[in-house]
Amino acid sequence: MFSRLYFVPPMLIATALAFSTGMSLAESHSTAADMAEDVPADVEFADGKVVFRSALDSEPMEFAYRTEQTLTTQVEEFYKTGINPYAGDPDAIEAGAKQYKKLCQSCHLKEGVGRIGPTLNDDKWERPRTHTEVGRFEIIYGGGAGAMQAFGRRIDQDSILKTMAYIDTFRTAQ
Amino acid sequence: MKKMIITCATAALLATSSVAQEAPKSVDQVARPGGTLPGNSEIALVQVASGFLDPTNVANAGDGSGRIFVTERAGRVRIIDKDGNVLEDPFLDLTAINPLGSDVQTGFVEQGLYSIAFDPKFGENGHFYVHYASLPFNGDGMIVRFTVDPASPDMVSPERTNETAKVIMRIEQPWYNHNGGQIEFGPDGMLYIGSGDGGWEGDPYEAGQDLNTPLGKILRIDVNTEDRPYKIPADNPYADASSERLMQLFGITEEQFSKIKTRSLPEIWSYGVRNPYEFSFDPKTGNMFIADVGQNHWEEIIFEKAGDGGHNYGWPRMEAAFCHPMTGDPAGSECSVVGTLPAAMYPHNTAFPGAPEDTSNAGCSVQGFGVANYGGMDGVYLAGDWCSGRVFGLANDGSGWQLQELIQTGMQFTAGGYDEDNNVLVVNANNFYLADQGPDTNPPGSLWRVMATADVPEGATLAKTAN
Repeated sequence: MFSRLYFVPPMLIATALAFSTGMSLAESHSTAADMAEDVPADVEFADGKVVFRSALDSEPMEFAYRTEQTLTTQVEEFYKTGINPYAGDPDAIEAGAKQYKKLCQSCHLKEGVGRIGPTLNDDKWERPRTHTEVGRFEIIYGGGAGAMQAFGRRIDQDSILKTMAYIDTFRTAQ
Repeated sequence: MKKMIITCATAALLATSSVAQEAPKSVDQVARPGGTLPGNSEIALVQVASGFLDPTNVANAGDGSGRIFVTERAGRVRIIDKDGNVLEDPFLDLTAINPLGSDVQTGFVEQGLYSIAFDPKFGENGHFYVHYASLPFNGDGMIVRFTVDPASPDMVSPERTNETAKVIMRIEQPWYNHNGGQIEFGPDGMLYIGSGDGGWEGDPYEAGQDLNTPLGKILRIDVNTEDRPYKIPADNPYADASSERLMQLFGITEEQFSKIKTRSLPEIWSYGVRNPYEFSFDPKTGNMFIADVGQNHWEEIIFEKAGDGGHNYGWPRMEAAFCHPMTGDPAGSECSVVGTLPAAMYPHNTAFPGAPEDTSNAGCSVQGFGVANYGGMDGVYLAGDWCSGRVFGLANDGSGWQLQELIQTGMQFTAGGYDEDNNVLVVNANNFYLADQGPDTNPPGSLWRVMATADVPEGATLAKTAN
């Protein structure tokens, strides 16, 4: 399942092991407290869930877009862990690639080399928090500034996580 | 004697003001982000109305009705009444005037209804003008006059639209970008037209420097005529430059020879612009600011003193204050400035080919709003960036031009304008290139009023800004 991983953070290896031993994702990350040492310090948790923040003003983010969508178990898991369950998943990456070409490539260009939008193929982030998956999710769902609009209005959160999994491959391929 | 001293002092002050309000003479005088505006005003964007589909521009009728008119890209004009209500029926609907479908080409995100301008005598004659990409004419820019039925001031029916249509100008467009867009009456009563270079990239037509095409220009025409589409203002810089004449070889000065431009178009007011999608007149002074969208590396704002036409703003020889095409760090290259320099400029994420990415102060497409003379601001030209959501203010502090980032918003600005009290208005949309879902299906945009923070009324909805 993870044969196409280019670079696997320790937490993902743990996740992979959890899968291979038949554990569910939820079981593999039992509490937010367990995650604390694996998730960057600037990601906070409250009531067992990540506190997502608006990229523009760092205020707690409201999930007001596409409220009719079904929140998949992967999205629910992400809420709890701040780790993208789709990272390294070939099927998710393939689905994310389609979304990237449709929604992102016009500004960030192929393989995230950047033009109108910043580069996505290195570890330099305009907003420091974007070095985390939570930060990247926040900016895609709720928007950054200007043309980096709130894509949570256009696609479901599950698709955002898959798109993030594809974007990850730009950096791991370097 | 005392009187003479006072007179001299006044003259000196006027002279200082006059000198200060000029385009920069050298590259180091071109303002960049980091300046401080006189008064250092703090501004906020106060929401006036929302729910507009791809709003592209905003204007007022100047008839005392207090109405605000927002153009939507698909080809509709919406009215916001003096109480802030958006009227249900559009003022104008260009999607409904042609039995074969819409009259507006919106196939590319830069195409659609660009702008609306009301005749200075609108209250008397009911004339207003629009500029849009025509579907029947394959995206050519159509500037058309329509006339309101006094019995129906808030809605021009499709029948009335067709009955009163007077085509003022059709601008042939070779490509689907850089076609817009602003049309606006100047304080001199003439209609000014922002005309992009026709598109693609790098100005393949060399339109900016070609006086034989309306592309890459600011045009100026007199629409106060009924027997023809428009008249050429006698004081246009090339009004007579191409008129037929007998040749004289001798006894003519070089300066006189230089005024003969046999291929020039008399409509041209200034040239060498790339995509002057938005320009504004200062309601107080009549001075003109042009937000000229740049290519890969720099955005520029041009200052033009009231009535001072004939300038060459450089494109495509120049991109902002640098020679085009940029091939590396301009600090390490030598080239001569062509034409008149912009008053200000700000970079893209990469300021030149090979430059390290730097998103601070950056943008990708400057959209002009208007000139604020209120809230502590005196002649401050406001402009926002389509990509970065930043709002910049540009003003002259007497010693030179200052460009200051005022707020960082999350919005994608498309244009600005004025209400009848000369407050600056702004519209934002949520559309973009590859994933354009059509002008009626993108998430809606809003209309905002620029206010001094201290003047924001209690309970107002404000645009979110970075802390």
